[in-house]
This record gives sequence, structure tokens and C-alpha cells, in this order.
Amino acid sequence: METIEELREQIAKTSYICGSCGSCRSVCPVYREIGWESSAPRRKIALAKEVFLKKKEKQATVQYAQRLQECTLCGKCAEICAAGIKTRELWLNLREDLRSRGMEHQSLTQMALQVKTTHNISTFPNENRLDWVDDLDEVEVEVSKAGSEVAYFVGCVSSFYPMSVGISQSIVSLLDRANVNYTLLGSEEWCCGFPLIASGNSQQVTELAKHNVEKVRALGVKTLITGCASCYHTWTHEYPTILRENLGFEVLHATQYLAGLIRTRQLVPGSLDETVTYHDPCDLGRNSGIYDEPRELLQAMEGLSFVEMPHRREMADCCGGGGNLAAVDKDLSQAIAVKRVCEAAATGATILTSACQQCVQTLQMAARQEKLPLEVLDITELLWRSLEE
Amino acid sequence: MEQALHEICGSRVTTDPFELAPYAKDVAYVPAILVHFLTNPLPKAVVQPISAEEISSLIKWAKQGKIPVTVRGGGSTAYFNCIPMKSGLVIDTNRLQGFSGIELDQGSHKKMVWVKAGMTWQDLDDGLRQQGCAVCSSPSSAPSATIGGWVSMGGLGIGSVPYGSVHDQIMAIRAVTAAGEIVELSRPDKDRAKNQGSEELGLQFNDLMGTEGTRGIITEIKLLVRDVPEKEEHLLAVFNNETDTGAMMSWLGGEHFTSLYNVHFSSPEFIMTLQKAGYAHEIPPRKYSLEIDLEGKRDEVDQAVAQITNHVKLQGGTLLPDEVGAEEWADRYKSLRLEQTLPSLLAAEMTLPVSNFAAFYERLSKLGQKTNTLCVTYAHLVSPEMALVMVLYPSDELNLIRYIVDLSFTSNLYKLGHSLGGKPYVIGFWNTPYLGKIYDKGERERRRQRKQAADPHAMLNPGKGYNPPNIILNSYVFGFGMIMIGLFRPLVLKILKGGKGHWKLLKNFGSK
Repeated sequence: METIEELREQIAKTSYICGSCGSCRSVCPVYREIGWESSAPRRKIALAKEVFLKKKEKQATVQYAQRLQECTLCGKCAEICAAGIKTRELWLNLREDLRSRGMEHQSLTQMALQVKTTHNISTFPNENRLDWVDDLDEVEVEVSKAGSEVAYFVGCVSSFYPMSVGISQSIVSLLDRANVNYTLLGSEEWCCGFPLIASGNSQQVTELAKHNVEKVRALGVKTLITGCASCYHTWTHEYPTILRENLGFEVLHATQYLAGLIRTRQLVPGSLDETVTYHDPCDLGRNSGIYDEPRELLQAMEGLSFVEMPHRREMADCCGGGGNLAAVDKDLSQAIAVKRVCEAAATGATILTSACQQCVQTLQMAARQEKLPLEVLDITELLWRSLEE
Repeated sequence: MEQALHEICGSRVTTDPFELAPYAKDVAYVPAILVHFLTNPLPKAVVQPISAEEISSLIKWAKQGKIPVTVRGGGSTAYFNCIPMKSGLVIDTNRLQGFSGIELDQGSHKKMVWVKAGMTWQDLDDGLRQQGCAVCSSPSSAPSATIGGWVSMGGLGIGSVPYGSVHDQIMAIRAVTAAGEIVELSRPDKDRAKNQGSEELGLQFNDLMGTEGTRGIITEIKLLVRDVPEKEEHLLAVFNNETDTGAMMSWLGGEHFTSLYNVHFSSPEFIMTLQKAGYAHEIPPRKYSLEIDLEGKRDEVDQAVAQITNHVKLQGGTLLPDEVGAEEWADRYKSLRLEQTLPSLLAAEMTLPVSNFAAFYERLSKLGQKTNTLCVTYAHLVSPEMALVMVLYPSDELNLIRYIVDLSFTSNLYKLGHSLGGKPYVIGFWNTPYLGKIYDKGERERRRQRKQAADPHAMLNPGKGYNPPNIILNSYVFGFGMIMIGLFRPLVLKILKGGKGHWKLLKNFGSK
């Protein structure tokens, strides 16, 4: 979007399309928790209509801002919308506008400052990005190695958060086992910018995008892989738009890349005697269209019994961890996650797996809170476990 | 007030104006000047009970204070059916969730479930399908419409051809009366004795069917369900004119195929509008389409497909490739996509004898041409003899005068439908002027008596369904007013250059 006026015109035009039918309401994880109409997507659009189409600026209240930021950006409302509105785009535009009005949630302002300072979402300096490598005994990880075929973009969560470093450790272990010629960016890896886009701060992402793309191009790799669904979505959907050019290399999610290795027998999964269910991450599934490869990985593990949850693929429920919701309302995020882990546990699975570090982290906390007999793992961790056992 | 409600519903109460505002609206846009002139729609409080006991306490409390009570489900209707006329208390039923295990009636061998009023039809169907069953029929707004909501409306929709109105599929019902008593009512012909107690309280089983929450509040229904069909086929046939299409609809109704589940008509204007928005490109331009959905036993479906295929040819139509029909079926709840091209639509929804469908469409086309109004029509067959017809036409809610003069056209549509045996589908508030067209004098009187017996203090959803609540909505006054406004419509449209059936900013919408 070029200017704030164009952005507002776009919001006005989109909000006019809404017929207020309420299909969005019944699938919205936030409405399902809060229960008041004000939290339903159709009401948020109705308010946007008042503010942008009918120019009733007084309707842009603090409560309006709060409701707009209480959204996981899961995109399920877009999937079911009877009018075919691309609601996820609308929510992002509305957040851009909130920011321009100075109505952004305080935690998000702080997060943006953090990314500006450290180039990651944690409080650690970016030089610590590879601390998780120290725990790997048998794998030697090389950084910015020229001539590599593959670059692995780790992502902030599985670089810095102890709960999630098992994901990055598993991915490099799998790449190593398959004799893939890969490299990492180390401290040259900056946050992909997804949390900033989700908080309506897409301007700040341009610098991050330019830096990351430049560093990957400099490596001359054919393929960039990422274990994070949100990083993947940002690299494939946002960067080409922001930079207005083709990236010049292939971007794959780790599950896609690993499925390819299994198909060519470059990687042979082990066996695992477990009942497992799979949570489709919103940014990988609904928002990027990748459903099959994660399931392919699960079905490739001998002995593993795979069971689906009722809400899956296009109609999968959100884990509650998207859209910066935890920063705006942690309890709401957790309540959504609890519903999802309960659905997983009801399948009889002993392991809930996903393909997103944020989803795994959010669901792990919920499973612990509910004391469910359910282990939550990333699919790459599960795959590596099958080889270890 | 707030404290009393908190004692009943805990934190599931709001009196915050920000939270209350959406409960003064439904699907339709009506200019504030009209709404506030005729009604007081903003509730004083909204509550979200989780049990019949809480609803009972709420009703008893409201009765003491003579506070009007309006019940709301999905809020997916367009006639202010669930909007307060006199402020008061709104009971939002959306927290009444869940359904029981599937029961098999030993006598009839029919399967049924108890389902709570706040579930959506889509959620119920999804839940049943995990157990090998499905709802018999569903509204075309199934993702948003609640169980209690559709039962309180006309109850016609997808699957009504073989299974009838949803009212015919209810075996028993649990509700709260206007006196705050909790009752369970079985179908009268099944268990008349069981109803004795509730009859004394004034409420009967049929008082809750299609009466828009004006006689009691539904909390749970015992609903017939069916096994997931062995086979489904979704055919899409296109025809060259309304006569052939209407004849095909009549034939489909008359043949009584056991596997005929649904028939959906789309006019060329409806298809064109969708195509402008980037959909339905597989359908040739200027054609009339019939989506014919078959569900049932494999051999029954196969036989029906063969017969229908032949008859489509006989009728001069063409069947499009299978995937086109399958896609139409998958998008059956997405008719509103046409708002991408026409974002401010007005509508008239009516039941109409199928035998008159072609004549209706022909006259509608002429009316549209005469008044320079683009009429976009779709319809469902809801019984072998009856279709539920939706006619939409563009307006502009950003232009108050244009919008008000356009409202008069709805009156013309109902008049046209009435001349061919049609009736407005639901009443709510805005259709009260048409009560005389929907029910004859005797039926209107019987309805008023039942209302009096069930809700003597007119506390439940006042202003709906029985008498025009306002002199302006008196059928004669309203009819005269609509004629007068209608006279100005051509002039207004001409001045606003909106008279060619296109919204003035149409160029900004549509083609992707």
C-alpha cells in the first residue's frame, strides 16, 4: 500500500462488501472464547465500515483497537466468508491504520523496538543466535559456508527459546543424516519481520527483508528452508511483494524439503510406536496451502499410527499463538490453545505434532496447563526421534 | 439491573454500550433515521445464559420488572426478527452448545438427537458426521444460523424437498415459557398426554415453530437425523430461458425421486454478477442454471442421474462437467460473493408455487426493465410444489435518499409474488405490513389468540409477527407510502444516475 489514504480506501472498499451474515463468527477462535458480538469478525468489519466508509472517526475507540488486535490472523474467517472477503489482508490493513493513529498495543510497540535493536524478538543479542548448536555433539554446523546448496533459516523462536531449540537441533541433525550440503546464516540471520507485519508495522520489515535476502543471495544457495511456518509465509508471500522482485532462489518449508529427501530415499525415517495427530499451522496450511507434506512425513515413519483431528487442513483450528495475540492478551491466547490440545487429546493420540515453532510452544504450554497425557513436538523432532530410537 | 443479572448469569452479562451496539443490528442495513423513528433497538443489557434454568430465572426477573425480552441466535436474518423494538433484555443463546448421543427410536427406527439451541447447523452437521449421521436439512446460512434460530423462522432450506420444513423433523422441544417455566413438549400426535401440563401454562408445541421467539424461548430440540448417504451427485444443468428452467423445476418436483436432495436456481443476472467478481466462469453467459443435488442409496442416485440427464436434454438444457456441479455444491453457503460486485443489496424473499416460477421470472424481468432495476435472483426448491425465491437488487447505503426510494421496490416485488401465489418468507418487524398477504383473516386471529395464551403480557419479542406495531406499518398506510415513494424513485435514480441497475461506484468493484 503506497499511502495511508490508499490503505484507508482499500479498507472502506473491502468493508462495504461484508453482508454481516456471521459465517465468520462461528469459526473465529477469539469469538468462541469471548462470546460477545463485538469480538466477531463481522462486527469488526461493521466498525471498519463506520470508520472508513462512513467516516465516523469517533467509532475508532480504544475498545475498537483492542478488538482488532485480539485476533490470531488464523484466516479461518476468510476460508468460510460467504462474501469471499480476504479478511486476513483486511485485519493487517486495519492494524497498519491503528499504528498510524498511535493506537497500537503497547507490547507491540515494545516488540518493534526490540527487533530494531537486536534484530530478533528476544532480549538476547543476535550474536547468540547459534547458542543451541553448543548442545549438538555429533553434528558440526557451518555458518555462511560458500558453495552450500541449502541455507537453513532458523527463525527467532527456535534460535532463542529453550523450549523450542529442539526443533532447530532436529532439523540440522536430519540434514546432516541425509548428507545435505547446507549452511546457516548465524548472526546474519535477522528476524523475518512476521511479528512486525502482524502488528501493522510492515514499513519496518523492508530493512529486514532486504538484509535477509541479500545475505542468502550472497551464499549462492539453490534453496532456503525454514522450520517456522510464519517465516515461511513471510519469505514466500511477503518478501517478493515488499521487494517487488523474485528472490532468485527456492524457498521451502522444512517439511517440504524433508519429504523430498524421503521420496528420493536420501533420508530413510525410522520407526516409532506412537499414536500421533497433526495440527496444521495456520501460516503453513490455510495461509500457504501446504497440507500434504507434513502428513507424508508422519506416514513415512514405520509403526506410527496417524489420527486426524476433526478440525484439520483448511478448517483446522488455530493454536492461539498467532497474530501476536499472546502479547495483547496472554490468557485469551492460552484459552484458545487449551481447546486445541483438548481436541488433540480426544483423538486418543499420545503425541500432538505440528510444523511451526510458535504453534508447538503455545500448544506445549496448554497441554502442561491442562495436565494432559499429550506430548507436543514439532514434526522434525518426531522424525529425528524415529531415527534415534 | 446489572447486579440482578449478574446474580443469574455471572460474568455473562453486559451493559457496556460498545458491547450492546451490535445487538441492535442484523444482516440488513436500515438507515438509522428509519430505525430510530420506528423502534428503540438498543438493549439495556445482553445476557448469555448456559442453561434453561438461567433463562427461566431471567424471564421471571424480566416479568417482575415488565422488561421486554428478545431472544437472539446467529443474528443472520434480515427483518429485525431478533432485534429489540422496545429495548429491554436480549438473551443471546450462543452459549447453549452441544448435542446428546444418537438415539434410535425402536418403533419408527428413526435416529434422533437432543441438540441445544445455540449450536450452528454447520457445527451440528460436522459433529454428527463424525458419528456417521447428518442433519436432514439445513438453512442456506448453516455456518451462522443456530438451531433455535432456524426453528423460530420458516425452517426451509437445503434438503427441504425430501425432508420438509425443519419443523417436521422435530420430535420434542424444551423451552422456557413467558412465565419462566421450563417445559418439554412432544409432537402433539405423539404424546398428547405429556403436553397437558404445559398447555395449562399456555404453551403448545406448535407455538415454537416459526414464531420468532414471540411465545417461548427454545433451549433444546429433539431432532430427526439421517445416516450419511451412500452416494452424492451434484449436477449442474443450464438452460436457455426461464420457461425451460421452470418446466425442469416442476418436473423434478413432480417426479418424486427419493434421492432428490436439493435444487438451486441461479438467474443469468446472478451468474453474471458472480462472474464479475471472479467466480463461476465455467457457466456460459446468459444461461439459467439449476444445481441438482442427489443423495441417497447408490442405485437410487444412479437411476435418478440417468433420468435427469435425459430430461435435461429433452428440456433443451445442457449438463456441465461434474466438477462444476461439485464446486457449486461446495460453495452453497457463499451466495453473498455477489456483494463483491454489488455491495449494497436490498432483497425480497418469498415462497412461490413452482408452477408459477417461470411466469414470476418473466414478469420480474419486465418489471426490472421498466424500472431500470437489475434484479438478481436465486431460488431453492423446498418441496415438490414450492420454491423459496430470493430477489436482490442494488442500492447504495451511502446515499440515504437513494436507499429509501429503493426500499419501495421491495414492495413491488412482494406484490408481484403475491399475484402468483407467493408469500413473504418471514415476518419479523419489517414484514408486518404484509401479514395480510401471508395469512388469511382466520389464521391471523388464531395466531393472535395463541400469542395471548402463551405470552399474555406481550413480553417476548414484542412488535413482531402479529400486528403492525406502528401506524406507519399498517398495511394500508405502508402500502400507500410505498406507492408514493415509488413514484419518486425513477426521478431520484435519474438525478443520481443510479437508474441503470448499477451502483454508482460499480466500476470500483467486481472484476479481479
